[in-house]
Formats: sequence, C-alpha cells, structure tokens
Amino acid sequence: MRYIPNTEEQKKEMLQEIGVSSFEDLIQAIPGHLRWQGKLNLPPAMSEMEVEENLNQIAQKNFNFSQMKPLIGAGAYLHFIPEAVKFLLQREEFWTCYTPYQPELSQGTLQSIFEYQSYIARLTKMEVVIPSIYDGASATGEAALMALRLTHKNKVIVSQLLHPHYFETLKTYLEPHNTEIIELPYLEGLTNLDRLKEIINEEVAAVIIQSPNFFGGIEKLEKISEIVHSQGVLLINVIVESMALGILKAPGEFKVDILVGNTQSFGLDLNYGGPYNAYLATKKQYIRQLPGRIVGETVDLDGKRAFVMTMRAREQDIRREKATSNICTNHNLNVTASNIYLSLMGTEGLYRTSLLNTKSAHYLENLLLKSGKFERVFTYPFFNEFLLKSKEEIDKLDKKLLQNNFIPPLKIYDFYPENKFKNTLLFAVTEVLSKNVLNKVAQILSE
Amino acid sequence: MKLILEKSIKNRIGYSLPPDLFEDISLEDCIPEYALDKNKKNLTAVSEVDVIRHFTALSKLNYGLDDGFYPLGSCTMKYNPKINEKLASLNNFTYAHPLAPQETVQGNLEIMYHLNKLLSEITGMDEYTMTPAAGAHGELTGVLVMRKYFLDQGKKRYKMLIPDSAHGTNPASAAMAGFQVVEIKSNQNGTIDLSELERLMDKETVGLMLTNPNTVGLYDEGIVEIEKIVHGKGGLLYYDGANMNASLGILRPGDVGFDVVHLNLHKTFSTPHGGGGPGAGVIGVKKKLIPYLPTPLVDFDSSTKQYYLKEVGSKSIGKVRAFWANFPVLVKTYVWILSMGPEGLYKASETSIINANYVLAKLKKYFKPVYDRYCGHECTFTGKEYKKYGVKTLDIAKRLMDYGMHPPTIYFPHFEPYAEETIMVEPPESESKEMLDEFIDTMIKISEEAKSNPELLTSAPHKTPIRRLDDALAVKMAILTYDDELNYQKRQ
Ligand SMILES: Cc1ncc(COP(=O)(O)O)c(C=O)c1O
Repeated sequence: MRYIPNTEEQKKEMLQEIGVSSFEDLIQAIPGHLRWQGKLNLPPAMSEMEVEENLNQIAQKNFNFSQMKPLIGAGAYLHFIPEAVKFLLQREEFWTCYTPYQPELSQGTLQSIFEYQSYIARLTKMEVVIPSIYDGASATGEAALMALRLTHKNKVIVSQLLHPHYFETLKTYLEPHNTEIIELPYLEGLTNLDRLKEIINEEVAAVIIQSPNFFGGIEKLEKISEIVHSQGVLLINVIVESMALGILKAPGEFKVDILVGNTQSFGLDLNYGGPYNAYLATKKQYIRQLPGRIVGETVDLDGKRAFVMTMRAREQDIRREKATSNICTNHNLNVTASNIYLSLMGTEGLYRTSLLNTKSAHYLENLLLKSGKFERVFTYPFFNEFLLKSKEEIDKLDKKLLQNNFIPPLKIYDFYPENKFKNTLLFAVTEVLSKNVLNKVAQILSE
Repeated sequence: MKLILEKSIKNRIGYSLPPDLFEDISLEDCIPEYALDKNKKNLTAVSEVDVIRHFTALSKLNYGLDDGFYPLGSCTMKYNPKINEKLASLNNFTYAHPLAPQETVQGNLEIMYHLNKLLSEITGMDEYTMTPAAGAHGELTGVLVMRKYFLDQGKKRYKMLIPDSAHGTNPASAAMAGFQVVEIKSNQNGTIDLSELERLMDKETVGLMLTNPNTVGLYDEGIVEIEKIVHGKGGLLYYDGANMNASLGILRPGDVGFDVVHLNLHKTFSTPHGGGGPGAGVIGVKKKLIPYLPTPLVDFDSSTKQYYLKEVGSKSIGKVRAFWANFPVLVKTYVWILSMGPEGLYKASETSIINANYVLAKLKKYFKPVYDRYCGHECTFTGKEYKKYGVKTLDIAKRLMDYGMHPPTIYFPHFEPYAEETIMVEPPESESKEMLDEFIDTMIKISEEAKSNPELLTSAPHKTPIRRLDDALAVKMAILTYDDELNYQKRQ
C-alpha cells in the first residue's frame, strides 16, 4: 500500500524489537470473541487510476455545475473566487498542519488568524472576533448560549426571518437548557418592530435578528437596537450574506452585542453546503464568555512580535464541562481562505463587489417586474436577494431554467408554507451574473 | 513579519471585476439611508503579487505534516493523499449549491449514501449521519440523540459518566447537552474502575462516553463488563472514535455494544487538518436510535432510481448546522476507503499499533511509560523523571523542534496520580521505521541533554522562526486585532 511505507521485513524486525512473536500478541487486551475475524465487507482496494475513474463517473451524475449559474442563495452564495486564493490554500504548510498549539512552528496560521480578526473587526466595527465556529447556524446556537450565560435569563426572542436552518439549529442548541423561544413575526418583508416592542421585557436574555434577513430585507437595526437596549436585553445580529458588509453600515455602529457572521461569501466554495465558517464578534467586556479560539499578539524571548492562542481558560481542553463551548477542531483553513480573499479584494474591491451585487439584483428585479409575469409580495429594501411572486406555475419555470443552465431560485413556500407564498421565489443575484446574463434570465422567465 | 494590513499602499489593487454596466442604477435608490455606509470599510490595498508573496512567506513559518514527523497524540496526523484533494475539488462538487434540486446532485447523494454503508460496515453500526462538522460537534449530536431517546420513553436521565482520561470535548459536549458530568477515575491499569462504574451507573444516568483505546493509548480490558454494567442498568454507550485508527478491521465498536459512535474523518480517515479544521465528525448509531438522528438522512428510492434527502421525522433532534455535511471531507474519506480496501484498512491499524509499540519499547528506558503495557496506536510517557534536572515536559517538546520534528501531544491526558507531565506519541501507519528510529534517537539524545545541559532544553527552541513566547503578556496586552495594536502603541 503506497501510503504505508513499512515493508513485511521491517514489520518483523519491529515485532522482534518489541519482543513479541506476532502482531496478535500486542492486542491481547481485546477480548477474543470481540476480535473481528476475517475481512471487512468492502470493495477491494483500487489503484489511483481506478479510483479516479470511479469518482469522475459519480461526479458526472451531478449536473455540470461549473457551466451553470445559480439564481438561488438562501444561505450559500456563488461569488467569484480569485485563483490566488485556491493556489495559496494548497500550500501544505497551511493544509496539513493542525491546531497551532506550538506557536514556534505555527506563526503562519497564527498571524493569518490575527489578520483575519483585524479585518473582521474593521468590517463590523466590533471589538473582539472569534474567527471560527463551524458555520452560521451553529454559531447562532453558540451566540444564544453565550447570551444565556451573560444574562442568567432564559428567554430569547427570534425573528422568523432568521434562516430556517439556523432557526432549527438554534432550537436544537437551546432545547436542553430550559429556554423559551419566542418567535417574532414579520411584516412586509421585515421583522415586525411593533410586535417586538409589545413582547420584549427585562426577562428576555437576547433578541436575534438576521440582516439582510432570509427574504433579503435590510432590517432597521438602529431602531431594533433602541428597542432591545431600552429593556437591557442583548442584541444578537446574524449576517448570512457577508458580502453585504461592503456597503452596509457596520453592526458595531448599532451597538450590537453579539454578531454572528457566516463567511461563505468570502472566498469559500459552495461545496453542497459546507464546510463554511462563521465568526462570532462581541464587546470586550463579554470576552470571558466567548466560545472557541482567539489569537492575540505578544513577543518572544528576543522581543520579536509573535502571535499565540490566548485567553484559553474558556476552552474545553482546560475547563472541561465548565468550558464556554465544546468546540475544538473548527474551520480554520476557511479562515485562511477568507483572509486571502479579503486581502485581494481590499477596501476597494469589497466595496465594488458589494455594489455590483446590489445593482445587479435590483436590475433583475426591475426587469422581472416590467415583464408583467411577476409581482411583489412585499415592498422592502434588499441587498442581493428578493422575493417575487410568479403569475405562472413555478414548476414549469424550474425546467426552463435548468435547461438553460440556471439553478432555479428558492421556492419560499418550502420554508414558509403560507398561502401568500404559493408560486413565490427567492432570487439571489451576485456579481457572477452579468447584465447580459440577467437579460437572458428575464427573457427565459417571461417567455 | 509585517501584517498584510501594514503593507497597504494607497490606490494599489489586488482584485479584478467586469465593468459596472448599471450606470442608471444608483446605490442610494437601492439602499435606505439608515443602512447605507457612507464610508468604505478600511481593509487593505495590496496587489495580487503582494498577496502571493505574503502568504507564501507566512506558510514558511508553519510546520506541516508533509515537512516531517508530526506525532501529535490523539490527532492521527497521517499522510493526506493528494488524489483525495483532486477528487474532492472536481467542479461538479465544488459548484454544487446545497439547495439545488435533488435530481441535479445525484452524484453527491450517491457518495453520502455509500459512505454511510461503508462506515457502518467498518464500525458495525446501523446508520450514519454525515452532518456533524467535527468530532466535538458529533459528540454533541450523539449525546443529544441519547437524551432524546430517553425523553421519548418518558425517562429523565440527567447524568453522564465520563472517565478522567477522556478528551475535554467529552465533558464539554455532555454539559452543552444539559447533562451533569460525573467523572470516573482510571485505575492502576489505566482503564475504567469497574466497581466505580457499577456504583455510579444508576437510573438517573444516561450512560458512559468511552474512548477505546483510551486517550493513554490502552484498550480497556474490561470492555465486556463495562458493556454489561451500562446496558444492564438501562444506559447507553457512547464511543469517542477519535482513536479509531487502532481498530480498523480489528475491533468494531458496534460489536462491543456501543450505541453511538463518532468518527473524526480528519483523523483515522486521512483528511487533512487544515491548521484546525475543517474536518467532519460523522456519527453512527444502532437501529433503535435512528429515529432521533438529525435530519435529513440520504436514502435511495428504488422505484425512481433516485437518491434523495429523507426527513427523519418528529423524533429527530432537529438540525445541528445549516445544510447537510462538510461534503468535500466525505469525498476524501470515500476515496481513501476505496484506495485502501479492506486489507489496506487492517494494515493501517496493524502498522500504527506496531509503530506505537516500537516507539514504546525503544524509549521506555529513557522516558517512563505512564502504564507499562502494550499500547494501541499511541503510547504515553511521562517527563516527570526529568524534573530533578529542572526540565519539564514542555522543554523536551520544545527541544524536539530544534531537530526538525513536531512535538507529540503534551500535558494531555492529565489525571492524577497516574498521568502527569505526559508526552503522548502517535506514529500513524504512514510513518516509516527509519522515521521512527530518527525520532527515537533524537529523544534519547534529548534525554541526555536534559541531564548534561538542561539549559539547552529550557531555552529551546533555538532554530525556529521565533523563540518561546510570553503567554502572560498576550493576556495582559489583549491585542486581538491590528487596531488594538495601534491603540496600544499610542498608550505607551
Ligand atoms: C479523544 C478525542 N475526542 C474528541 C476530539 C474532538 O474532535 P474535534 O477536534 O474534531 O472536535 C479529539 C480531538 O481533538 C480527541 O482527541
């Protein structure tokens, strides 16, 4: 086997050195009747050639996605990824190492994390950034648990326009902790703030609001912050489409207490849903309740600037059941990817990409409305995702779009089974759809 | 080295975009004033060339598995085959949108479906969920499944038994799932004290989380009794599969009677560690627990000949993440299993066990084993004996770096009075005898240095890009971003 260097002769030599006559002698601690006899019932070993052919065949059973453009987002967005991101990421020094427990051998990873924390702090105007929780949904769960610890209260109010998968995950994370989840309804595509005012009180630990929300709507965070903070409640803001930060005001400006940011849009492939990554950002005063790893600056014996995992007394390997979270392996390589991506984009590139997303999305919405085949269900400000109701049966549209190499938009009824959402689609438009392509989409959809 | 943010030069760019053909649309018309940022977010301004040089230089400050020996115990730093990477990054996979119609992602679903079967066979379980993102995430998922199982029967079991040798994620996961953690002490053999187990396993206890071989690297000889005690009192057995590399084709947790198993695909199954993930922590369960798994699972409809995502139903614990799985990690695992075949898998475990016992046999004169027994795929020493020379385990680890090797895991496991100042060496099957001999010789040399010139160790490493760090200063300064640093400098 090419991944196992030792030969049979070496095996014998080693057994001799150990002082046993056979391998079996080493595993006597396993009760005999439990010892697996014979061969596992698995396909026989394949050569590299065969395995490659095999996988290529399976991959062919997918549609030819690199030739297709998605009109769907809903938590996963196809943005352009510069080749330099992928090229650099393949360096084995980033790829094959593990958690930087030994800083002397891990300054590459550690500095990269520190740079990323710096970027995210600037993008969000938040003070402290935990770079990596698995994804936005699990990070939302962690944020809520953090709020419970900070407030010693057990109610959370959650906007119904939180991504449904995030909502489901949140429920799972909170379920063992005797927490009451109060759903906050929406009105005209945005979270209903009058309702928020009615139901919020001092017994609530936190209010969780996604913006842009699941319908793409840009929430009135300033107002929300006023309402929430007037009751001494924590505001948790969730960003699923991080590209919006290129043009939207930073959540820190609205005194958000805990920010969850899903960063798939920053240089990560769609990959059928993962691995993505999320950061958790907060105020310095809450640092001790943060889950997960963080990197800080220090100096070495010679006074040289260096980076190290710090404030570790929160983590599972030190605190065990008293830790702020169980997270250990996170999604660090995706932090490196996003760091490289943000470096390439820079101040100007991120702004322009974000701008292009906004304009392209509004352009398509306008075309579709003008076609007379679609109408709005709500009128609300959006970034790059919007809802439109088709006057036709949407199943037919799906086929047409697939035939023309487009992945159809989301049928919102699948997630919100309400009558008004029959035949309603959630479109996502990113910079990968050029004006020409958008014209074509509109044409297909209005034929 | 300068930060990429410090390399910023006004007007320099590293991106390229097609022209903006939407002149007639204005941003102010799209985005309301309450949300629109008047300023651009200040990141950096560097060229693509700057970025390539910067990150290439950064990478050279890291030590990776392809650089050399990386015997990090409990982490299974085995070779990451390059073909895995290529096949996981086929365009048809990387461009697949998670909510694309299921008829368009039949390839993805087929892999998930088959991987479930392969892993079930390897571990003797009935069904796997591919959902969890890492080992700890799998643990949380698994213990939530156990919790739901009992709640469903109207039983309130609120305690979880966890050995003192367990990885920190075990108690942390149990606590996250709302359990009260009850610690079980290890005995003089390094395994579970059966009378303690007998005493603690009661009607309020959901079960036991066990790693086997455990974190010291020892198979638990009492496994049959453990199973009897826990099941006999109506509990469930959880298997932490981080150490599965000792058991492929040798011992299937399902046959032992484990009800839930998590596997770290980034350990036993050869997928890379990425500087701390992403990996995957899939979990397998016995039949009676399938209804409680997170939703959805993957199934095959024989009438339409289509794979599909199947809702688990009302007993499911729900979702633990968005979408379905860390898909590319699954592909790498699948490719690895196909490449190894059943004999290859067995060979992997056999070799890793021989490797670890070889290191144990050759080093035990110089470093005292925590337990002097044959071990599984990793062996654990203590550096305690060197304290009299003023040398700690940490110093031994740091000195190894000067010889071009990554240190083993240190200070884990830790439980008194047996496991202190631990050095846990895991030399997986991808390490050759020559590599092990070099490591053994180096460790012997370091043991001599510890006696003759301890200062060489306490001031090590000497040949790394940086020397030892001031951890306390990091906490005190609390510089967690570049702007913190700028502010700190102003204050000084
Ligand atoms: C024994 C053991 N259990 C659980 C874990 C947790 O796995 P992960 O880091 O993938 O969350 C680890 C590794 O870190 C481990 O060594």
